[in-house]
Amino acid sequence: MRRTRTKPAQAPSGTDAVQGMGVRTRTQGQLVLRRFIRHKGAVAGMIGLGAIVLLAVTSIGAGPIPGWWPKDFSSTGTLVDGGKPTLSLLPGFLGGSGLQIGEHPFGQDNVGRDYFALTMRGTQVSLVIAFIVGIVATFVGTLVGAVAGYFRGKSEAALMRLTDLVITIPTLLFAGMVAVMAGDRGIVVLGLVLGLVTWTPTARLIRGEVLSIREKEFVIAARSFGTSARRIIVKHILPNTVGIIIVSVTLAIASAIILESALSFLGLGVQPPDTSLGRIISDYQNALTVRPWLFYWPGLFIIGIVLSVNFIGDGLRDAFDPRQNRVRD
Amino acid sequence: MLAFIARRLFVSALVFLAATAVVFVMAANVGDPLAEARQLPSGQAQEAAIAEITERMNLDEPVFVRYFRWLGSALTGDLGVNVTGQSVNAMLENAVGATLQLVLAATVLSIVVGITIGVISALRQYSGLDLSVTFAAFLFYSLPLFWVATLLKQFVAIDLNNWLADPKLALWVIGLIALFVALFCAALVVGDRRSRVTTFVVAFVAMCALLWALSETGWFADPGLGIFVISLTAVAGAIGFTTLFSGLDWHSPPMRAAMAAAIAGIASALLLDPVLRDPNLATIALLAVITAGVCFAIGWLLGGELYRRSAVQSAVFTGLFTGAVIFTDRLLQSFASYSDMKGGRPVSTIGSGTPNFQGTFWQSGLDSVGHLALPTLALMLISLATYTRYTRASMLEVMNQDYVRTARAKGLPERAVVTRHSLRNGLIPITTLTAYDIGTVMGGAVVTETVFGWRAMGRMLLDGINQGDPMPIMAFFLVAGGAIVAFNMLADIAYGFLDPRIRLS
Amino acid sequence: MSTNLEPANGSRVHAGKTLADSLPPSDEEILRVEDLTVEFPTDDGMVHAVRGVDYSVREREVLGIVGESGSGKSVSSMAIMGLLPGNARVRGSIRYRGKDLLRMREKEHRSLRGEKIAMIFQDPMTSLNPVQTIGDQLAEAVLSHHLVSRKQALTRAKEMLDLVGIPRPEARLKSYPHEFSGGMRQRVMIAMAIINDPDLIIADEPTTALDVTVQAQILEKLLEVKDEVNAAILMITHDLGVIAGMAHRVLVMYAGRPVEIGNVDVVFNQPRMPYMAGLLGSLPHLDATEHERLRPIVGTPPSLINVPPGCPFSPRCPLADDSACVTTEPELAPTDADEHYAACHHWSRLAQVDDPTAYFRAESERSR
Repeated sequence: MRRTRTKPAQAPSGTDAVQGMGVRTRTQGQLVLRRFIRHKGAVAGMIGLGAIVLLAVTSIGAGPIPGWWPKDFSSTGTLVDGGKPTLSLLPGFLGGSGLQIGEHPFGQDNVGRDYFALTMRGTQVSLVIAFIVGIVATFVGTLVGAVAGYFRGKSEAALMRLTDLVITIPTLLFAGMVAVMAGDRGIVVLGLVLGLVTWTPTARLIRGEVLSIREKEFVIAARSFGTSARRIIVKHILPNTVGIIIVSVTLAIASAIILESALSFLGLGVQPPDTSLGRIISDYQNALTVRPWLFYWPGLFIIGIVLSVNFIGDGLRDAFDPRQNRVRD
Repeated sequence: MLAFIARRLFVSALVFLAATAVVFVMAANVGDPLAEARQLPSGQAQEAAIAEITERMNLDEPVFVRYFRWLGSALTGDLGVNVTGQSVNAMLENAVGATLQLVLAATVLSIVVGITIGVISALRQYSGLDLSVTFAAFLFYSLPLFWVATLLKQFVAIDLNNWLADPKLALWVIGLIALFVALFCAALVVGDRRSRVTTFVVAFVAMCALLWALSETGWFADPGLGIFVISLTAVAGAIGFTTLFSGLDWHSPPMRAAMAAAIAGIASALLLDPVLRDPNLATIALLAVITAGVCFAIGWLLGGELYRRSAVQSAVFTGLFTGAVIFTDRLLQSFASYSDMKGGRPVSTIGSGTPNFQGTFWQSGLDSVGHLALPTLALMLISLATYTRYTRASMLEVMNQDYVRTARAKGLPERAVVTRHSLRNGLIPITTLTAYDIGTVMGGAVVTETVFGWRAMGRMLLDGINQGDPMPIMAFFLVAGGAIVAFNMLADIAYGFLDPRIRLS
Repeated sequence: MSTNLEPANGSRVHAGKTLADSLPPSDEEILRVEDLTVEFPTDDGMVHAVRGVDYSVREREVLGIVGESGSGKSVSSMAIMGLLPGNARVRGSIRYRGKDLLRMREKEHRSLRGEKIAMIFQDPMTSLNPVQTIGDQLAEAVLSHHLVSRKQALTRAKEMLDLVGIPRPEARLKSYPHEFSGGMRQRVMIAMAIINDPDLIIADEPTTALDVTVQAQILEKLLEVKDEVNAAILMITHDLGVIAGMAHRVLVMYAGRPVEIGNVDVVFNQPRMPYMAGLLGSLPHLDATEHERLRPIVGTPPSLINVPPGCPFSPRCPLADDSACVTTEPELAPTDADEHYAACHHWSRLAQVDDPTAYFRAESERSR
């Protein structure tokens, strides 16, 4: 193809929908941001996750942050109206009792604990664990994937066999055992060990990406200048995998929430006195027929978080790797 | 290819062996098997208990010695004893059947349904159907399994049983179901707005009428298809499969072959009545093989030289489809009697089967279905979403490939472009997905079994972890990890067969 | 071929079949494109990819279409095939033997595709289905238009492979695309295009992805099979050497419009549109002196989203003035030679100089 010399004002942007047709120049970052913002699901996910995090952190407070919600999650109290939720969103003219939050918006459990505060505490814990898992899994996965993808031969074979080995062990079994061994050392430790057993999908993704990038001209050029492997990985390959790394963080976080809640539900995850969304559901699952709200709220929060994170991940993937219809000529 | 498989087998075996060591070391350290004994009042009884368990589990030996001890006996088929001295072989024997049934049913169903929905969704990209499917996939993907399972158990099962006591559909329910079916049909239709609207209206009215009639005649309490509906479905299947394989043409040899297969099926439904009263699994399998063989012959003969391939395909698929319809009819016919045997509550929420159940082939079939239905549904949802999303993405990518454009440039009808070029290439990456998915399903089975109170492998694993008891954990891992390794290998081999580029290397 | 031009990259047709040896075009017109426009809605606005194209092709004629990326040459040929993406908006008419392809029912259009109008694509590495044998893919082209047995179709496929010069055609039917080299795959694509004796072959940059030495063989083969099946060829390329070597007439496209059309000799020797003159001037000459520089056309083509008024080439044109060139877009108009049309307000100024490419030499010298 004839390569037209490009002026900044009118450079055909290779990544945009129409190649070589003279489209306004935008930097890679601007393009990604623009595509992300146009992805409705991703924006909704951002808003949803932001709202949940904000609500969880400010309501009952965390560490130095004081909360605005007056009740705490551990003290018991008297049951009001059988512990039914007082939250109402249905306006009066539609047969509801109007917009109101009330004394116990999410209701109370059988010993009168405020269920809103408890759910918020569970949300905080689940989010903290999920973020730690996401970061640890992405870090380990990226390291393994990048090294395995870049170096051919023995180190690749060894790392891929290691990955195969971890994949052979069902995640729930592996995660369940490390979680029990972490015991009651707290949620940070739990997050760390779970991260150490869930890095394989990231490693595979990154390895695939690195394998294709290492054959690109600019890497070959760098190698021919005698650039060190470490420098090529850090300076040339990783920056080009930023997109896929960010996407895999979101994937890891989403599956971490699900994994943690499943483990806690089975009694293998978060241990009392701490609690998490999965733990709450497990604690109150038998109350389903009597006090269904004890079952719904934490479940809805899990779905809200995971759905938001998944939508964000989808938006990011589309933004970094647009597979739009290309008009070729 | 053989060398490739052999090498793959060797590497997999080594990796699996290494994994057993890792899991054993962890399982041996996961908890304190003596915890319960230590709870006893100190004294001779406690010491004796501790000594007994230590002796039984060789706790005084280093963990590696214990591993090799386990490995040695496991290779001869002895999986050891658990902390209370029960044979793990016996535990596994009781547990493995139910779990594998659940895992297999969920996997097969999610593959079939997920791929179908994913392909349709990709072919109708950006349509209302596609957007709903994409959103539903996201939602399912984000659902915590145990939460859904509990909901299904608590509400669907109970409400369904209550409803089956007096199965009448309210008018709004009929309308809602018909609306969904009609929207789905309309989304399937290729063509302009008018044909879509026509399809929608026809499907809606037909569905409403059908449901109303079924509800009024009390069909849901005593269902069955009857020879008329069987015939109708078989003929519809014949038309459908022929359209799919060679285009809709009433006088073409493939259509004749498919019709002949359908008629043969209907005839055998009548003739084989004595055999079908209470068959066993072998009879059914034999019948399926005979059906395929007969239909192959029909297609071969009626197809002639020009249409042999598509005639055989249409006939065999129609024949097997008709067989499946007859099978379903028999199951449905036994529903009323089964429901009576279960005291009018056929959908079960506890356990993996009714203890000591005695009944005909069809009744025990229904018993399995009744127990499996909800756990399978719960376990399916998540895998289903994964398959749908991957298939859709893969198909969309393939449909933009140059060779698909080449196929269109040849003048192939769109149906052939999709079935012969897009589909085959688009499904290749899905083989790899099944291998990753099986591990997730295995884990999901543990959760589902817990919710539905099955005494199967999930229970065995959780007891093992909670009691720091390595032998049951290892037994679980042998099955689950073995399944993962096997699926990985099968996927690799299938990949090799489907993609000629891999065969050489 | 009488042209002062040395092929840019050696893709001139060598010893084998040349255009002069092949059968001359007849007067029978098989394709007429009139006022064709194609638009694509995109996120940035409507892309006017093709903005009014007229041309015709006669039996056995080779019409070259040149232009740079984005000039609309491929999009207009995909419109003929009816293979544009669903969101494309196509207007105008494309008549194949009098029947308008754009107003045809899809089924009728499909029955022409691959049967009467065939296409060869740019990249043979990706244009064949990797999981089907060559034989199946070729036979499929026959079976989708003719009621014959698979065996007969495969026999036909074997003959075609033989015709395009693939050794051991019988055995190669069972091979997969990845077992072929690029040049061999393009031969397979040619075999696929001619397997139903088409009237028109659209070749979209058929040699761009191939080695220079293979390019010549492929072009030769195309000319050879053209006579074998009596087909016309629409040769789309950005390589002037290819056009010089194998086209009867040439159509030059710029920014979605034809800007010059005429017999190859005339257009190459007496370009009457500055863009074509610039293209010719930018080619390296083998006899160039050591100190001579390459003379590129400065600037880039305009955006096809907001096409500015006036001549789209004016910002890059050394002849452009501030009046007509920036206000009115010139129409294709007859020039000083027969059957030679150009879209330029100032074509007569090019006619006044001996070597029209000199304008670009001066321009590039100045702009340095």
